[in-house]
Parts: sequence; C-alpha cells; structure tokens
Amino acid sequence: MKDKDEFLKQMENLQVPDINPHDHPQLVKMAIMNAGRSAALGVWLIMVPCYFLFCVFMYYYFHANISWFEAMFRLVVSLDNNKYIDFLAPIILIVLPIIAIIINALAITHVGYQRLGPDHGKVSEFIITVKIKPLNILLILISLVIIGLFIGFAMTESISIKN
Amino acid sequence: MKLNWFARKGIIYWPVSVIGWVILVLAGAYAVYTFIDIDSRSHSGSDTLISFVFNLLLIGLVYTIIGYFTERRVD
Repeated sequence: MKDKDEFLKQMENLQVPDINPHDHPQLVKMAIMNAGRSAALGVWLIMVPCYFLFCVFMYYYFHANISWFEAMFRLVVSLDNNKYIDFLAPIILIVLPIIAIIINALAITHVGYQRLGPDHGKVSEFIITVKIKPLNILLILISLVIIGLFIGFAMTESISIKN
Repeated sequence: MKLNWFARKGIIYWPVSVIGWVILVLAGAYAVYTFIDIDSRSHSGSDTLISFVFNLLLIGLVYTIIGYFTERRVD
C-alpha cells in the first residue's frame, strides 16, 4: 500500500514536456539527389564548356582586330576540324550545362503539396523550398551563363547568315 | 545491384576495387594515346595542348560519370 502511494506520488510529480503546437507541423525536407555528389558531377559537366569559353577569351584577347563573336566562331569551326570532338560540340556546350542545372536543382529543392486546415476551406499550398547550398547554386548560375552565351551566339550566327 | 568501384573525395573519384583501378588505367592509357595522336597531326605546341586538354577533360568527365554511378555509398 505504501509502495502504491509512493508510486502515485511519483507519477503526479512527473515533469510533463512542454510542447509548442506551432512547431509540430515541421517536416523533414529531403531533396531528391545528394548535394555533394551532384556538385562533384556538376563541376565536371561545366568544366569543358568553361574551358572552351576560356579559349575564346584568350583568342579574343590576343587578336586585336577581332570581335568576341568572331573569336567564338573561329573556335567552333576549329572544334569541327578535331575528329574526336566535332560531333560532340553541341552536346558539350549546351546539353552538359543543362544536365548540371537539373542535377544541382534537384539536390537543393524540395517540392511539397499541403492541404491547409479547415479554417482555409479547400485551399491547398504548393510549397517549393530551396536549400542554401552555395556550391550547387554557383554551379547552376555558371551553367545558366554558359547556356545564355551559347544561345546568344547561335542567334547572332543565325541572324548574320540570313543577312 | 551495388557496384562499389569508386569512393569520392571532393570532386575526384578514387578507385577502391580492382575494376576501378582497371578503369583508371584504361582512362590514363587512352589519354596518352590521344596525346600522341593529336601531337602527330598538329602544327604547333599550343595546337596540341588546346586539343589535348579538351580530350583530357572529356575523358575525365566520362570517368567521373562512371564513378558517379558506381560509387561506394554508406546506407
């Protein structure tokens, strides 16, 4: 009987954890791909187009009477003369940065769909969360710049050929 | 199927199995072959280097893609 009283007393004096109801809806936001692995592959994917752009810059820098467009044009033509990489040029310069964007974007974004509570009627939310991973974000930005440069080059080339 | 051929350190994949080492040696041998081939057809040292670095980066990219899919992962 005495043990039972002590047990009841202990139960009554138990510390109850303080739960904040606003913290409860938090969820683990898992990305689809691993950020470190995506960054490692992303670096290699944009290394080749970056090297090409570096060559264009050097060509432009060391030829005084040449425009940026002409420097790029001459190097693209020289790529066509190289039997190993002639057919790979569009893949290297456009497709690889696109793949780098996709894998790095998948590594830092989380997409979720959530129904709001009864106070909001039938309203639902589509939630996109972007994790701040500097290397992945930098790779995405560099890839976007590369794609922009090559699309600009292709458009300029197309216009100049028509004229 | 798990293929534990490579382990990643930074952005480099290092072989951790015999197959991984074989792939690394093959990649290195192919790089040497392309250098000799490009050098025999090019007109200057810079011409050789510009073309060779392109090929070297492509070989590195293919090697990394293989490493990416056959990496040793801890579950």
